[in-house]
Amino acid sequence: MNKTALRLVVTAVLGVALAGAFTYSFFDKKASTSLLHKQEQTLNLRGLIALDVEAYLKDPRVVKVLDENQIKLDITRVGSREMAGKVAGGQGGYDFYFPSGVVAANQVADAAKKAGLTTTSYSPFYTPMIVASWLPIGKLLVANGLAKAAGDKVYELDMSRLTELMLSKKRWNELAHNSDYDVSRSILVSTTDVRKSNSAAMYLALTSYALNHNETLSEREAAKTIAKQVAELFKRQGYQENYVNGNFDDYISIGIGKTPLAFIYENQLVAYAINKRGVAADMVLMYPKPTIFNKVMLVAANDNAKRLGDILASNAELDKIAIEYGFRTANADAFTAAVNKTGLAVKARVTDVVDPPSYEIMADMIEVITAEMKQ
Amino acid sequence: MKRQAMLLKYLVALASCALLLACSEKPAETRADPKSSLSILATSDLKDVQALEKMVQDETGVAIKFTFGGTMESTEKVLKGEANTDAAWFANARYLLSDPAGQARVKLQEKIMLSPLVVGVSTSTAHSLGWDTAPKVTWKDIADAAKDGKLRYTMSNPASSNQGFMAVMGVAAAFANKPEALTLADVNKQRLADFFKGYKLVGDNSTYLTERFIERQGTDLNAFINYESWLLTLNRSGKLKEPLTLIYPHEGVATADYPLLLLNDAKRDAYQKVVAYLKGDKAQHWLAQNTGRRSISPEVMKQEARLFPGSKVLIELPFTTDRAVADALVDAYLNEFRAPIASTFVIDVSGSMNEPGRREGLLEAMHFLSGEDSSLAGRFSRLASRERVWMLPFSNEVQEPTYFEVPQDQAGKTATFQRIGAYADNLKMRGNTRLYDAVLQAINMMAENKRKTPSYLYSVVVFTDGAVNAGANFAAFKSAYANLPAEARAIPVFVVLYAEGNEAELRALADLTHGRAFDAHSMSLVSVFKEIRSYQ
Repeated sequence: MNKTALRLVVTAVLGVALAGAFTYSFFDKKASTSLLHKQEQTLNLRGLIALDVEAYLKDPRVVKVLDENQIKLDITRVGSREMAGKVAGGQGGYDFYFPSGVVAANQVADAAKKAGLTTTSYSPFYTPMIVASWLPIGKLLVANGLAKAAGDKVYELDMSRLTELMLSKKRWNELAHNSDYDVSRSILVSTTDVRKSNSAAMYLALTSYALNHNETLSEREAAKTIAKQVAELFKRQGYQENYVNGNFDDYISIGIGKTPLAFIYENQLVAYAINKRGVAADMVLMYPKPTIFNKVMLVAANDNAKRLGDILASNAELDKIAIEYGFRTANADAFTAAVNKTGLAVKARVTDVVDPPSYEIMADMIEVITAEMKQ
Repeated sequence: MKRQAMLLKYLVALASCALLLACSEKPAETRADPKSSLSILATSDLKDVQALEKMVQDETGVAIKFTFGGTMESTEKVLKGEANTDAAWFANARYLLSDPAGQARVKLQEKIMLSPLVVGVSTSTAHSLGWDTAPKVTWKDIADAAKDGKLRYTMSNPASSNQGFMAVMGVAAAFANKPEALTLADVNKQRLADFFKGYKLVGDNSTYLTERFIERQGTDLNAFINYESWLLTLNRSGKLKEPLTLIYPHEGVATADYPLLLLNDAKRDAYQKVVAYLKGDKAQHWLAQNTGRRSISPEVMKQEARLFPGSKVLIELPFTTDRAVADALVDAYLNEFRAPIASTFVIDVSGSMNEPGRREGLLEAMHFLSGEDSSLAGRFSRLASRERVWMLPFSNEVQEPTYFEVPQDQAGKTATFQRIGAYADNLKMRGNTRLYDAVLQAINMMAENKRKTPSYLYSVVVFTDGAVNAGANFAAFKSAYANLPAEARAIPVFVVLYAEGNEAELRALADLTHGRAFDAHSMSLVSVFKEIRSYQ
């Protein structure tokens, strides 16, 4: 490098520093020749993401695959429901939004449309909503006709009967054949705060489906009436964690005493099991019948972000990593094989699945519940 | 090439120094990321984790700095956005987070450790109640024992501290007709009143309560309600007359989950590094072994199980989200359930009180006590229904006491508050400082009233601004005090350290009477009086 070049670079650097974008890492790349060239090629994408995909997107292996495909991500984690409010065009906008769930994704797409943006949605992987529970609880629910064993440490949960039972305010110690869980608390499934989080909204979708005689709600007035009933199931839980992992953290850390039944994403527990190479022997999974798939949705707000969507959906290495994060992908056998090693039992194929109601109906119901919870 | 690259780095470092206008001479140090620090507002029950400052810095490079404060006060600061720290760490944040304003302040949260609120009962008492071998002890058993005078406990003030508040919420839930969705109508007031009959020592600080408990264990106290971690540590300290048997009530307990709350979004990275370290196995083992907190990691917990006597399943009591219920419970505690307060305020009205600001400060504090304050910290500070107050001013002589009793009804309450305000406004400041004669008289007065009405909690509050120059000196006071009957010596004296008051002597006065000294040199008198209230 000659002196003139040096001076040029210093001048350039000062310019950058003045613009407030100076970092030392700039120099650690010692790429004095290819730097400018590479910057032209690499797509720097700014995105808002849900907690669900944060660990995955920050995984060094994912970063590497994306890097090889000339994509760099600058991501900020926010609540899925808050994302739509942050959609903007132009400089203030993001290249992509990665919320948890179809409902939130539709809201984002809708907000983008209003801001004059054209979006494309991708669903590279998904996870079913499940109830994480405990062996004694599983046996107790089976004994009371509320669940059916579907293999060793796997259960199918009768959502209609369970919802009905919960609304009738039954306590655990009022169940028949109960010697293992002498607890005077009400039978309730614990969720996160429905006003804040997607997973609780999915619980709302399932319980309202049960109350609507096993039909997805499509009529706004009926939805409001049912939401009023379902509100109890949230309100009576008392304090609910209002961050997505709160409920799962309680299941893992405090256990059966606080969360006999925890409504979570399957991938939360699967990822935990794969990461820890095992789970406690009495942890069991219950699959609500029917359940909902939570699709992790990438909403690309421009062509650059569409490249990210294409790679996430098609790259085999990324697919493998997604499974480690507990997600199901198109490759069902790879998923089952990965989980079985941990001692956690899952249902190989989840078939009884419904869609959540439209997001207008969901929004209406959440509004009703919010009002009920203030009383 | 390499040298040129080095030179380039150096030049750039210099250039950026000039731009930033604030960096040290050594260019290497400009690499220090200013974001790699995290200031944390923590509640005082977390003082035992202060050693983490160094551990976190060593392991993560993030400099964390704790500031400690009272629970309600700290919660209020966060609510109002006045915490001035990057993060907050509380035993629990349920109260804060059931408020939308509180939710908006908190950017991220992660639970770090656990400790259930349990009842520590002197081994001999637990044995005589049959609780040491009973397969289950219920909150009902506890309330019955408290009602019968068999259980005499101390715990932090529910109106001003987390533990006390959680205990009341838990007890209320345990006694509710419905197992959850606690509303005011569901609260079984009689059972709560029974439970509070056993509440014999009030205070706002676990260290203070522990000192008093050590003195009084086996005489008038035999139980301590606090976090399991605190009681385990106390049992290990060897300071108790006999160890405490930890009772985990059958209906359930309230568990503190110690969330670390990010308040300053700009510190996200530092926060996440600190959280990752604190949730890691090394820190989790350290916390379990050194502070008696349960680990959030089931694996670590399994390895440390021997440290926790009640390792059986703990049922968690639901926590109502209804702040109106929480507030009403605290109000009901203050105005109905708790043993009401009877106290004498020994007030210096000597000439020196005319120095700038002093009389005004005192009047402000007295108006505060008899005023309306709906804030979290304020609502327990004002005088409550049933409360009895004697004002005992002194200067050259000890003057006549003036008596007030706060009625239950709102109109009567307001009228009484107005009379107290008018009384304060009419105080005339002149003459000398006849402090100790006044204190002695106040103690005797309280002891005499205690004989007549033992259901009240008696104390003396002393406020003086100068050296004693009339009547008994401290030595004379001490010898007179030594000759007082035991019941008079059981009256604690809470002392305000203010202006030229003799600090050493006044602290000795607080110690002698098992009271406590409160420093008003660096705080307003209002704040000090607020603090005293949670010890009465």
